[in-house]
Amino acid sequence: MINIIGNFSLWLALCFSAFQFLNSLKKNNNSLIYLNKIAVNGLLICTLISFFSLMYGHIVSDFSLTNVFQNSHTTKPLLYKISGVWGNHEGSMLLWILILNIFNYFIFKLYNGKNLRFVSKILETQALIIFGFILFTAITSNPFELMQELNENGLGFNPILQDPALAIHPPLLYVGYVGFSAAFSISLAALTLEDNSIPWHTYMKPFVLAAWTFLTIGITFGSIWAYYELGWGGWWFWDPVENASFMPWLLGTALIHSLITVERKGILQSWVLLLSILAFLLSVIGTFLVRSGILTSVHTFALDPSRGIYILIFTAILASYSLFLFGLKLKKNPTNNYLSFFSKEGSILFNNILMVTVCFSVFLGTIYPLLIEAFTNNKISVGEPYFNATVVPIIIPAIIVMGVGPILSWGGVNKSKLFKKVFPAILSTLIMTFLTFMFYQSYSFVGLIGISLAFWIISNNIIMWFKKKEKLSIGMIISHLGVGFLILGITGSSVWQQEKIIKMKLKNEVKIKNYNIVFKEIDEIKGSNYLALRGNFYVYNEKRKLITILQPENRYYPITNNFTTEAAIDTNLIRDLYIVIGNGNINEGWTVRLYHNPLVMWIWFGAIVIFIGGIISTNNNLTKMKSLRK
Amino acid sequence: MIKKVFIFVLFFFITQNYYFNSYAVEPEEILTNKKQEILARKISKNIRCMVCQNESIDASSAPLAKDLRILIRNKIQEGKNSEEIYKFLTDRYGDFILLKPPLKIITFPLWFLPFFILIISIIYMFWPNKKSKKT
Amino acid sequence: MNKKLLILPAIIFSSILLVFFYLLIIDRDPSGVPSALINKKIPKFETKSLLTEETFISSDLFNNEITLVNFFATWCKPCRDEHDNIKKLSNEGGLKIIGINYKDNNEKAIKWLKELGNPYTSVGIDKNGSIAIDWGVYGIPETFVVDSSGVIKYRHVGPITNKIYNKINMIVSAIK
Repeated sequence: MINIIGNFSLWLALCFSAFQFLNSLKKNNNSLIYLNKIAVNGLLICTLISFFSLMYGHIVSDFSLTNVFQNSHTTKPLLYKISGVWGNHEGSMLLWILILNIFNYFIFKLYNGKNLRFVSKILETQALIIFGFILFTAITSNPFELMQELNENGLGFNPILQDPALAIHPPLLYVGYVGFSAAFSISLAALTLEDNSIPWHTYMKPFVLAAWTFLTIGITFGSIWAYYELGWGGWWFWDPVENASFMPWLLGTALIHSLITVERKGILQSWVLLLSILAFLLSVIGTFLVRSGILTSVHTFALDPSRGIYILIFTAILASYSLFLFGLKLKKNPTNNYLSFFSKEGSILFNNILMVTVCFSVFLGTIYPLLIEAFTNNKISVGEPYFNATVVPIIIPAIIVMGVGPILSWGGVNKSKLFKKVFPAILSTLIMTFLTFMFYQSYSFVGLIGISLAFWIISNNIIMWFKKKEKLSIGMIISHLGVGFLILGITGSSVWQQEKIIKMKLKNEVKIKNYNIVFKEIDEIKGSNYLALRGNFYVYNEKRKLITILQPENRYYPITNNFTTEAAIDTNLIRDLYIVIGNGNINEGWTVRLYHNPLVMWIWFGAIVIFIGGIISTNNNLTKMKSLRK
Repeated sequence: MIKKVFIFVLFFFITQNYYFNSYAVEPEEILTNKKQEILARKISKNIRCMVCQNESIDASSAPLAKDLRILIRNKIQEGKNSEEIYKFLTDRYGDFILLKPPLKIITFPLWFLPFFILIISIIYMFWPNKKSKKT
Repeated sequence: MNKKLLILPAIIFSSILLVFFYLLIIDRDPSGVPSALINKKIPKFETKSLLTEETFISSDLFNNEITLVNFFATWCKPCRDEHDNIKKLSNEGGLKIIGINYKDNNEKAIKWLKELGNPYTSVGIDKNGSIAIDWGVYGIPETFVVDSSGVIKYRHVGPITNKIYNKINMIVSAIK
């Protein structure tokens, strides 16, 4: 029953999207808004029904639905039954479609008396995108397929994916990707605009900011999950799927900066229009890489070349339509003046060039193995060493400029005045860097660069905060501060990590940094859907005071016949203590891995601060956009 | 501008200079000579686990990864340097086993294109050959 | 900006999409790796034979006829799955097949071959996997086709399915 409701509403939504597209094509104004209102609301209601039908199926464990059978089990806790809806390919497409239609609704709300053609054009492009995604899902990835025979229980679900951070990670990311689709549609609408009085950038900015903000926090939760759950101690692996989320983020960063120059100075307009097209196209190509089976990755969903061909054709249609339109409709911009490097617009342009270059490196590195495979008989790998070598050197000048960019004025600065303004920050950076090195007593060149960059940003922004200039956006200061904290965390955890890998018997003791850790006992425990061997490690500081008890586990999930290791982590602002227990027995002892990772918390803290700054800025720009109604 | 280029080139060489944590190395594999162990980690970080998705042998608990880790350490103890070890592995497994793509003609675009685009863009946008108009 | 340059993004994009399209429609294994030893002479090795008391030397074994080399183990399920096809290659195809027993227990392997049938002319023991590493083996079962002058012509990773069986026969005929 539920599958009929879900499937029917999905196909009905397809009809509504076609209706919205055809309707928006019309030049006739009379019933345009009214008919689009029907289309937009119809789409939203249908996709809500469809999505929640699937969710209902998962919650009540209706194993007649293939999607529920393949991905769920009665013993799964309720939270993960719900997040299991989007933890698979078909369900995640349904979530993507739902979010597309929520944004579609918000775009519809943009209609005010003056922007009829503009908003209609946005809705027309959105309808095309929605149509493509729904058609793809309904035909190649339908979540409402029925099982031939009814089973009593499902195939269970991968236990390492049962984690709160991972549960929330896809919805946040999809808000990001879908937000860029809105920017894409606004860009195409701006290209075909005849009325030059409409400030398309004022409409675009909140969408880009919202997309970028949610993409930031989505990526962050993915990394948090990887670090705390996978037991590899890492949080970023330059895996193709990770890169697929990083590329739109980079272009989004470029966009939120260059949109400022469009607003204030009217320059770089064509550049921004192109960027917003590319950001969404990269999101779609990312979807393609992950879901087509063209490459393997830890993240890939079910591999199916026929899905790949569909997405490829869809991407080709979107890309040719948008890029062709861009080439054709681009108006010659009169302002092609020389930009001084030492000016606000110069620093923003510099940032843009660097962000786009990094994005290009990541893109090239991700698809290069595929290119080599297509043109030669060989296969190569492009892994972490390549990305570190090409991305890090480019980020460094970007960060240097980022410290001082916000206080540069439009058009150019007096260099000696600038030096006076910036001197306190330089001083503060040197002092803080020195103190940090004294504290950690470990000297490395990479550490020096990282720490000084971090404090450069933090110093500049704290000074800006206290000077309280109304012109400076508070969201910007907060986000930039977040970047400083982020770099602090990344540097500390990469450069000053320590490890101890040994075999430990019960009652053995080991020393790492200035902690003494005693392996007191081992016990067997039973969880909701697993059995585990758990070690109990007592952590003492130099004064023999008990700080915490760490309990790493080796888990066995009988349903999926899976083994996982659960790392035990003690976190504070200064360091993470990370213990993983491996194989062994009572006689020879167990393999124990202990890690001391400094400043890891600052990575997550920094990212969340960036997120908060983004929310504030999004809100401010939304207010600006709403004021266009008057 | 030239300074910036110089700094880029400099940074190309400082990527790794410290002891990497490994999340798969077993206690009995670790060499007693610290310098040799650091070299082993450095090389292992660049060797792909052939049966995993995008992991190095240092992070993978697969049996083949362990065999290769031990093989690398044996060769280091025999006195082989990293180039010889890389050649040994690529002779058998091809360039695929290297996580850092080797610099060959076929990979020139991979290594130089981003840098090239960066230089061209910066020169194009900031070279003072247009009308110098301070707004 | 030169208008013609604006077509550039479109061209680059379409070319990349074409490459992806090509990769999707051809028959390929996204996780498979081509052997680095194709068209190279076989790696020399020396080990013990599984079924006899003799030593097992590579230079003695490959003499002027097309030979298959199959890496297998009793603990490997796909090896069990392909065993019938290996026997078929030996019996119906009349091909000489050398087996390399990878990281296995000798008694178990002897018993396994007794129970399921032995398609190999001789079997070598690779206790610690070093022969496999020399051959660039990463996922057993793996099967190599070696021509009459001792040069490796083809390598298949994974079990010999019916489809691969036909492919190997085609390759062998092509070498002859």
